[in-house]
Amino acid sequence: MNVVEVKDLTYAYTEEKIVLNGVSFSLEEGKYYCLVGHNGSGKSTLAKCLMGLVLRFEGSISLFGIPLSGKTLREIRSHVGIVFQNPDNQFVGSTVADDIAFGLENKRVPHEQMQGIIESFAEKTGMIEHLNHEPSALSGGQKQRVAIAGVLAMGPDLVILDEATSMLDPKGKNEILNLIHSLRKENPKLTILSITHDVEEATRADEIIVFNKGKIILKGKPEEVFVHREELASIQLGLPFFYQLRFALEEQGMQIPPSVKDLESLEAYLCR
Amino acid sequence: MTSIALGKYVPYDTWVHRLDARTKLFATILLMVAVFLPMPTWSMTLLFQGALLVIISILLACTKTPLSWILSSLKMLWIMVIFLLVVYIVVPKSENVLGIAWSVNGWTVYWDSFAEAARIVARLVMMIMIGTALTSSTKPLDLTYALEWYFTPLKVIHFPAAEVAMTISIALRFIPTLLEDTMRVMRAQASRGVDFQHGGLFRRIAGLTSLIIPLFVSSLTRSQELGDAMECRCYDPREKRTRYRLFHFRAADFVIAFFAAAILVGVAVTSGLHLDFFSMMGVTTL
Repeated sequence: MNVVEVKDLTYAYTEEKIVLNGVSFSLEEGKYYCLVGHNGSGKSTLAKCLMGLVLRFEGSISLFGIPLSGKTLREIRSHVGIVFQNPDNQFVGSTVADDIAFGLENKRVPHEQMQGIIESFAEKTGMIEHLNHEPSALSGGQKQRVAIAGVLAMGPDLVILDEATSMLDPKGKNEILNLIHSLRKENPKLTILSITHDVEEATRADEIIVFNKGKIILKGKPEEVFVHREELASIQLGLPFFYQLRFALEEQGMQIPPSVKDLESLEAYLCR
Repeated sequence: MTSIALGKYVPYDTWVHRLDARTKLFATILLMVAVFLPMPTWSMTLLFQGALLVIISILLACTKTPLSWILSSLKMLWIMVIFLLVVYIVVPKSENVLGIAWSVNGWTVYWDSFAEAARIVARLVMMIMIGTALTSSTKPLDLTYALEWYFTPLKVIHFPAAEVAMTISIALRFIPTLLEDTMRVMRAQASRGVDFQHGGLFRRIAGLTSLIIPLFVSSLTRSQELGDAMECRCYDPREKRTRYRLFHFRAADFVIAFFAAAILVGVAVTSGLHLDFFSMMGVTTL
């Protein structure tokens, strides 16, 4: 089942500045997608369109079979959650618990159920000991965990991560990515669209969508996308370390089977 | 800049902290009104303001607010004290109860001027103490809820009570973030040679401009992003919301509310009827 259907999506700030130019794609339920592209390629504008923050677009977007429009916004937003780049600018509550509760209050979840939901998602995101902490007492990674907990507590079927790890240090970034993967294991129906310019993160995705100048230029599994070395280099996207190593070994005449898809399996293959 | 004491919450578990925010706000307003009601004579002023100062000091001590915080809040009052003294000494006063302080070449200054200045300063000190007692014992969010609760009846005239409360709550939430931003911009500009401390007036104003403009831009960006994040989490000011935090009045709340109301009524009656306890008892009064 497709959770997102985008057809001929075009959006322009001015007549000259076209940000999205006839974008069409679909996302399947339960998959982890990475949308990669360099700064200014239109990735975040696409996320805003999907969330209905931008409605003056051409083309059509439907989420969970519901066409996106001003009238269907509330219904669609109850299915979709988004985590933005800056952890400070999405922390609404004055404490961790209040922030997780914010979305629940908006969805009119009864008061009696809230504490249980808040504790459950704070536990899953490793923030249970910080429930009464104020944002100023948290690190960037912790604030981002709270944002994820707040979004997941609302029970979305699709989570959009709009460069959610780009302001974090490597440790914080890994923590968030591991958290996302463990949450996917718990809920296999959860679809994730991660918007990033980090190609390393993209190696862990089920599918990659490569964006440039408001258009999709490549789409497919990581091993299908990263073989297009020249095309990626032409839009200033490097290769992940695994693919750089793999191609370097292949250039030296080594035959590596297609089943080798990450560093661990490459290491096992080389040491066999 | 981060050492602003007024408005800071002190996380203790005292009986004042445990009171409902609505009760504390109610009592605060009543006490503030009581502090500002005039008394018929200086003796009565001294008696009532002294009694109020004792009550307010006990309340503040109960909140366990560090004395250094209170003193740092009161530090700024020195400017006000000097200003008031100058005004009262320069502006001639017709009332003469306490006697002449000095008279030079027809310029007469009465002790009343000093007493008047002292009375205003005492009122301001008590106002700050009451405000500190409220904010140091009440979380900003609870205070916001209390405001929303009091604004609720105004919904009949379409007053946006929930929106105002949400705005205040977000403003309070972003104070530390904006202070951090200010420090960051100041450091960034200082490293580029901007001097905020020294130089003439124009140079300092130019320095402040280089602080205010980036701060303004970053605040606008933050507000835009926060608005987007809130909207994406289904926030709609026109829609009803449930509430995570619920508040309940307890016996102690009624006792404190009654106590505050009794103080205000006592002061208001004394002030309104111009009662002078000292002359009633046959004691010479000023």
